[in-house]
Amino acid sequence: MNDNKQTRFILVVLTIAFALLAAAFSLDLFGKPAPVHQLPLVDTELLKTETWRRSYADLVSSKAELDAFDCYACHEQGKKQVLKYDDKQQLVIPDEHSDIVMGHGTHGRNNNCFNCHDDSNLLQLQPRDGRALKFEQSTMLCGSCHGPTYRDWEAGMHGRTSGYWNRTKEGADKGDFDGPFKKQDCVNCHNPHSPKFPGRQPAPPPNYLREKHDTPESAQTSH
Amino acid sequence: MNRRGFLRSSAAFGVGAAALAASLKPLLELKDFSSMEKFLQKYYREMTPADMEKVLARITTEVERQYGVRPHVRDLKPMDGVSFVYALNLTRCIGCRKCVHACVKENNQSRSPEIQYIRVLKMPHGSLDIEKSDHDYNPAKVPEKGFFYMPVQCQQCKNPPCVKVCPVHATWQEADGITVIDYDWCIGCRYCMAACPYGARHFNFTKPTIPKDRLNPEMAYLGNRPRTMGVTEKCHFCVQRTRAGRYPACLEVCPAGARKFGNILDPESEVSKILATKRVFIQLKEDLGTSPRFFYYFDV
Repeated sequence: MNDNKQTRFILVVLTIAFALLAAAFSLDLFGKPAPVHQLPLVDTELLKTETWRRSYADLVSSKAELDAFDCYACHEQGKKQVLKYDDKQQLVIPDEHSDIVMGHGTHGRNNNCFNCHDDSNLLQLQPRDGRALKFEQSTMLCGSCHGPTYRDWEAGMHGRTSGYWNRTKEGADKGDFDGPFKKQDCVNCHNPHSPKFPGRQPAPPPNYLREKHDTPESAQTSH
Repeated sequence: MNRRGFLRSSAAFGVGAAALAASLKPLLELKDFSSMEKFLQKYYREMTPADMEKVLARITTEVERQYGVRPHVRDLKPMDGVSFVYALNLTRCIGCRKCVHACVKENNQSRSPEIQYIRVLKMPHGSLDIEKSDHDYNPAKVPEKGFFYMPVQCQQCKNPPCVKVCPVHATWQEADGITVIDYDWCIGCRYCMAACPYGARHFNFTKPTIPKDRLNPEMAYLGNRPRTMGVTEKCHFCVQRTRAGRYPACLEVCPAGARKFGNILDPESEVSKILATKRVFIQLKEDLGTSPRFFYYFDV
């Protein structure tokens, strides 16, 4: 009998405890957990894998506007082109070509249009070895001076690659197999007139849950 | 028992049960708690192909229910004669952080709070003092004069300290060199995070939030399937891509061509040629003996 009483007592206490808990939950006495602060999503422009520039071959294959490559719309055919220099021996770029920024090399000695373009046929490029190259073959022109880089590019060590590291068709995904891999031409990334990459806006830095305290020694240039 | 006694005790029982049920109300607000199937799931390396099929079907329905996108989940195995190596050209990296965000997108990392596998460190030229590196640079234009940028992610060590400390063998190194995590086996003790000298492992303190339109439906079991709260994750060289023969997402997006990836056992691969001919400058924290598969190199 004593046991029974004790059991009943425990059950009553438990019921009261549960009822109090239930009341507390329904009155939200404990409060709701703070919602996670929603961080802004990154701009989808930054997720794109396209190159910054498009080569002549790409423009042709995508049927883009090619007016800029029709030299003889303005220039006279069969006439040798003459360059103008100012009194400091700097090339004077005519107004028609004012979009071109000459900055190939830091030494300023490669500012002659006809180091690469053919002055007797503007639709051609001329490497120093006397070959005549079309605009589509600009990579070979670059390679005629930048030998080691060209060698690296051929091996896939320089420049962007995309697609498949696995060059065997059996090894690659059958579903979306669209060619083993793609190498980019020099001019897909570099502007041939000014090949050094211009500065770009970086993607946003990491967001912290709490305010970031400054690092005691933030990076400083040694120069 | 008489009639009155029965009524009284059943009323008491009813009140008690109702109070109990009401006090368990917060459980109703718990969404996606682990299913019995997941609870009874076998260890990854003990699963038969039939077991795995069931698990993949469960993950497919779970992801579809939670994110509203039907994923294509696979369990990709390492390929024979393949050992992955990553090479990163420090001369070329411009610090644009596109790799960081391409990785987040590809691998379904949590957007808030933010989990990112790649951290880009900015350091002055002529130094390599990671303690003094800047993670939070945000100038109008990169690269900045006088600095170089060093992206750090999981180094896929040949001798991984994170694997040694895992008390439940939820992380291990596979035959192709990738250290993977079974998110269903991880108990969230975070020993691996403490052991990793590269800060490569990240912990899901909350349920990850991934907007529906940013979810990558091409998934792998050991790769980018959405994680749950309370598990660690890290870079896995995009197993869902690389074991299908493709390049990792961070490589594809790099505008400077600074990232190179491939099979070190193939003498014709880019990485083999880089390690053979370039000035391969460091394995990060080489002195710790972790022997990373991630190499930093220079042109020239």
